[in-house]
Amino acid sequence: MLLLLAALPGLFWEGAPDTAPALHDAGIKQILVPASRLDSWKGVPDITAAAADLQGAMKLLAPTVNYRIDEASATRAPWIVANGWRFIRRPQGRFYYDVTGRQAALAAAEAFAYGAQAMIRTDAAGLKPLAEMLDFLRTIPGDPLPPVADIGYIDDGSTASGEVMNLLVRDNLLFRLVAAPDGRLKVNVKLGTKEYPLADAKNPSTVAHTVRFNLTDDKRSLRIYGSPVVVARLTASGDHARVHLLNYAGASRKVDGVRIRVLGRYTKHQLWMADGTNVELLDFSAQPDATEFTLPELKTYGVIDLSR
Amino acid sequence: MPGPYPGQVIRVHAENSIDANSGKVNAQLVHQMIASGMKALTGDARNEDAWARFISPRDVVGIKVNCSGAPRICSSPEIVADIANNLIAVGVPAKQIYVYERFENQLQSVGYGKYLPAGVNIYAVETSRSSILNYDPKTYVETSFFGEDDTRSNVARLVSETLTKIVNVPNLKEHQASGVTGCLKNIAYGNFSNVARSHNFEKTNTLTFIGTLAAVEPVHSRVVLNIMDGLRGVWHAGPFSEMARFRFYPKQIMIGTDPVAMDHELIDVIEAKRKAEGAVSIFDRSMSHVGRDNSNPNTNHYIREPGHVEYASKLGLGVFDDARIKLKVIEL
Repeated sequence: MLLLLAALPGLFWEGAPDTAPALHDAGIKQILVPASRLDSWKGVPDITAAAADLQGAMKLLAPTVNYRIDEASATRAPWIVANGWRFIRRPQGRFYYDVTGRQAALAAAEAFAYGAQAMIRTDAAGLKPLAEMLDFLRTIPGDPLPPVADIGYIDDGSTASGEVMNLLVRDNLLFRLVAAPDGRLKVNVKLGTKEYPLADAKNPSTVAHTVRFNLTDDKRSLRIYGSPVVVARLTASGDHARVHLLNYAGASRKVDGVRIRVLGRYTKHQLWMADGTNVELLDFSAQPDATEFTLPELKTYGVIDLSR
Repeated sequence: MPGPYPGQVIRVHAENSIDANSGKVNAQLVHQMIASGMKALTGDARNEDAWARFISPRDVVGIKVNCSGAPRICSSPEIVADIANNLIAVGVPAKQIYVYERFENQLQSVGYGKYLPAGVNIYAVETSRSSILNYDPKTYVETSFFGEDDTRSNVARLVSETLTKIVNVPNLKEHQASGVTGCLKNIAYGNFSNVARSHNFEKTNTLTFIGTLAAVEPVHSRVVLNIMDGLRGVWHAGPFSEMARFRFYPKQIMIGTDPVAMDHELIDVIEAKRKAEGAVSIFDRSMSHVGRDNSNPNTNHYIREPGHVEYASKLGLGVFDDARIKLKVIEL
């Protein structure tokens, strides 16, 4: 339980105690405040304050989707702004978001899905969505399962390498960082090799496509059909698996139907949906090699536990 | 497909079928055109007998309309209504008839309800754009064109789970990507999800994708009749027909069971019109004619692929060979 709470993102609030009514109205019960303000928040009823500092924490991008409808580009795929690769690169890192409105909820869900230590600074409009998301996240049982990876990625720490990781995350190509090629993984990737020349990294999308080609879709532990704006994270061990689904357009529009394919046969499922979404999985199919199902609606975030 | 009349195409032309100035359709004449065409195709003396060859009272029938470009151009409500009336005449209950299209906003813009017999269903597959919920997760074509992550195109559930027969009602149009959009494309791209990915770039994958989708069961066997609405047509910048000057009025309806033979005739009509207008052939593949501004009839967004019709013939969907196509023209 302690581990679970530690993984919950927190609201970083710089306001004085006279802003407490706004927090109460939104349903915020815990806040992180600058150390200089901590004393002033002591004694404010129904709000627990702890000291925190943005200094030394990495600022994240506001998670969203840019559709770029009026922009000439090589692809019509919407541009997903995601931070998953940053969490994977710095698993012990401290992060913070500076987000407004409903993006605060998506930010909290993103950090939670990756088990990242993140603070969220938001505006008045973001308080209620954030509080609702945090309440929801508290209902999800802790996830002791390790992340699933098909790809071993040797990160040289460069900007180019980071952008390749970003594309892998956004394309739902599951990887973990390795120091050297790991024979247990289906594909190993190192920029600067004959197979993945540095020159290709100028267009990281090209590298991601090459990785996918080498991996092959059949061997991907996770596939997403029906939406280009849903990014998934998969954890699994033994007879259990957990699928985290993030709708990066969730601050403005829901996804009507997304089909998920997970390698392995799982016959049972349980789901938790944010935003009060009350749905059941549709067309659940447990084949010998893979399990497929349709989530009829995804507003911001959903978690699906699978078991045999 | 190609059904009991491979290679046969009936073209019924009636000069008074539509007023080119007002766009008003003569519903009575449309009824005569379809009845004449059906009788000519089957050899039956009675219209009801002709329809009964394809449809039985127990069938659940889909009328696959085309609303890309609606309300400017679409499957004419008068034609769709006449087809529904013919189905009812052979004993199909109205509640077992579905006028359907993929996109709800396009379908609603036509207002078919005002024309159709009471009880006929009007159904859109995607009530929310790109929603996969009304597609069959078990029946799909999987392919990757450019590295897109969603590699599946699923058939509409209505087709796989409800309908027993489909009457296909395309328009007579040029298409910027596929060259023409007639029977085959309305069957293929009109019944499957996630198909626009085949024409994301100047060089498209429509050549093979259209026939491949149309050949998938149960679509393949459920399309029993094609009635192509050629009262209006589009000879350039199709299918949406945003520029009125590229519309024309062939004033004809084509009928047959062979979508390939009919689309071959469609190609001929579009080519003849383009030639008369001084525009390049839809078979032209010069990159110098590819560009953003298609208000010029010699500029197009894509390299067109009218070869998709011949390709479909190789999948067994019909007859493409000119020498084996029997075109019968009826003048009313």
